[in-house]
Amino acid sequence: MALNVDIQESFRIALDAIRASKARSLLTTLGIIIGIVAVVLTMTAANGLQNKFRESFSSVGTDILYVSRMPWIIMDDFFLYRNRPALELREAGELERRLRGKAIVNPNINGVRDVLYRTETMNGVNIIGTTDKQVRMSSAQPQAGRFLMPFDVLYKRNVCVIGTDVCDGLFGSVDPLNKTLQIGRTRFRVIGVMEKQGGSFLGGPNFDRQVFIPITSFVRVFGGDRRQDVDVAVKAPRQEAMDDLEYTVKGEMRRIRGLRPAEGDNFTINKLDTLVGTFNNVMGVVLLVGLLVTGISLFVGAVGVMNIMFVSVTERTREIGIRRAIGATPRSILLQFLLESSAIGLVGGLVGILLAAILTGVINAVLMPASVSLPIVILAVVVSISVGVVAGLVPAARAAKLDVIDALRYE
Amino acid sequence: MEQASAAVSLSLRDVVKTYVMGADVVHALDGVSLDIGRNEYVAIMGPSGSGKSTLMNIIGCLDVPTSGSYCLEGQMVAEMSQSQLAELRNRRIGFVFQTFNLIPRASILKNVELPLVYGGVPRSQRRVRAQRALERVGLADRMKHRPNELSGGQRQRVAIARALVISPSIILADEPTGNLDSRTGDDVMAMLDELHAAGQTIILVTHEQYIAEHAQRTVRLRDGKIESDTTEWR
Repeated sequence: MALNVDIQESFRIALDAIRASKARSLLTTLGIIIGIVAVVLTMTAANGLQNKFRESFSSVGTDILYVSRMPWIIMDDFFLYRNRPALELREAGELERRLRGKAIVNPNINGVRDVLYRTETMNGVNIIGTTDKQVRMSSAQPQAGRFLMPFDVLYKRNVCVIGTDVCDGLFGSVDPLNKTLQIGRTRFRVIGVMEKQGGSFLGGPNFDRQVFIPITSFVRVFGGDRRQDVDVAVKAPRQEAMDDLEYTVKGEMRRIRGLRPAEGDNFTINKLDTLVGTFNNVMGVVLLVGLLVTGISLFVGAVGVMNIMFVSVTERTREIGIRRAIGATPRSILLQFLLESSAIGLVGGLVGILLAAILTGVINAVLMPASVSLPIVILAVVVSISVGVVAGLVPAARAAKLDVIDALRYE
Repeated sequence: MEQASAAVSLSLRDVVKTYVMGADVVHALDGVSLDIGRNEYVAIMGPSGSGKSTLMNIIGCLDVPTSGSYCLEGQMVAEMSQSQLAELRNRRIGFVFQTFNLIPRASILKNVELPLVYGGVPRSQRRVRAQRALERVGLADRMKHRPNELSGGQRQRVAIARALVISPSIILADEPTGNLDSRTGDDVMAMLDELHAAGQTIILVTHEQYIAEHAQRTVRLRDGKIESDTTEWR
């Protein structure tokens, strides 16, 4: 059987009804609008966070273990960790010897110093004492000049490799190679510039705002390794060897430190996985809260649409009678009102998408890169129409069940 | 009647319609039998409560009898479902109501097209047929107007156009002049007379003698029964 309802007609009637009572319609669709804004923003934020996260940590492989004094993320009591002995450069060397042929070992020391070049100063730059093996740990390579070489480390040379933000901040358009800058009070010659790695992730480390110097120079210039915590990066030959490697590293470290079987570890093995895990937890919360807000608003929106549809059916009882008298079947009346409620839902959805797009623009400008993607828009449209249909079911069924004669006589 | 039965349009046999109102059972129609032939012009008269509205509802396929049979153009109506009744009304019955019953938000043209929409007529044909129907009632120049922009007489002519557009077996006019002054009422009646002259079957429900006089045949109801059924050839 043909469904003889003029779809265009029904949509026009619905739009007329919305236009005729703007305030009422606004209140009706407010729930849907808020719901759609919430769903679009949630999805956009989640997408943005994920992209940013991937971009920021893309250079840090998931096949690397970091042996450190502290865990990156402390979930329990900080005082459990604060009395641990610092990791020493000597221990890093020992670990390297023991793992030779099994993994690449690269010790790091971090410090924060001001960096100067002529009149330009950059405050609080992350200074990393490292070795030539750094470039084998991460995908980031120098874009100009060269990275540290074994002899730089061996002879404790005052040379440095700078990140792009440091380069832009201090040198501007000047070629930084072979220029001499000042870290703290010591002069270092720039031998290389790293390629861009994507900036900071929500206050996390900014890999473009750091300076690499030989770890030996770091110790000589900024003080002994007893005061400075060493982190040791250990890169597995293959991703699959990670679990074995973690076990081996743990065993070797315990031996180096002479820990008895009953004693706990006084060091921590950090992995990007734990960071990813934490990130996923945060994402989960963001999504959960977003979907909760979305769910509640859409429910309120659905109730509003249902209410307005009941009013519409009552107001137009006589019209329903007329339509039935001249040949509308109960089914086409049902369909007409479903189309109307889905049109109301769609209008709410479109307004919501528009608002969300504006808000996303604001977020993009002040907080983080974000853009509304097509799949999200499609999702929002489908959701808003569905809410309209669901909300219209009961009123439409009531309209379809009206008795023709009663409806025709209705005043 | 014998000649007419060869071209019978509708036929009711022992039609009973009862309503339950609280504890009472009301016999709105109490055994009505009636044949109406093609191109007849019949007035159904009776005081209020006589059952003429109920009879009109049954003839117009808006309602089905409690018992008895109703045959419209060879189709048995009594057993039909709501959807089947709707389709039957859509193809066979042109309604003209006392209160015009146009859809206020839609233009005149849309109002006249509406039965064709439900009849599944393609858009292009709908427009042509609706325009032709409006030309027949002399409102071709008002197609874009809304019902509330027209006078009562014009609205009733739109209703007639809407009834005509489906080329119905019967035009069922329920007090078509009830909301009109006598002059515009006369115009509307003249239009119905004209349609009858062109071969249309018309059933007129009224309580006004002078309106009923337009018809050739008058059926009078009282207490749910046919009191008299007279044919006058003028």
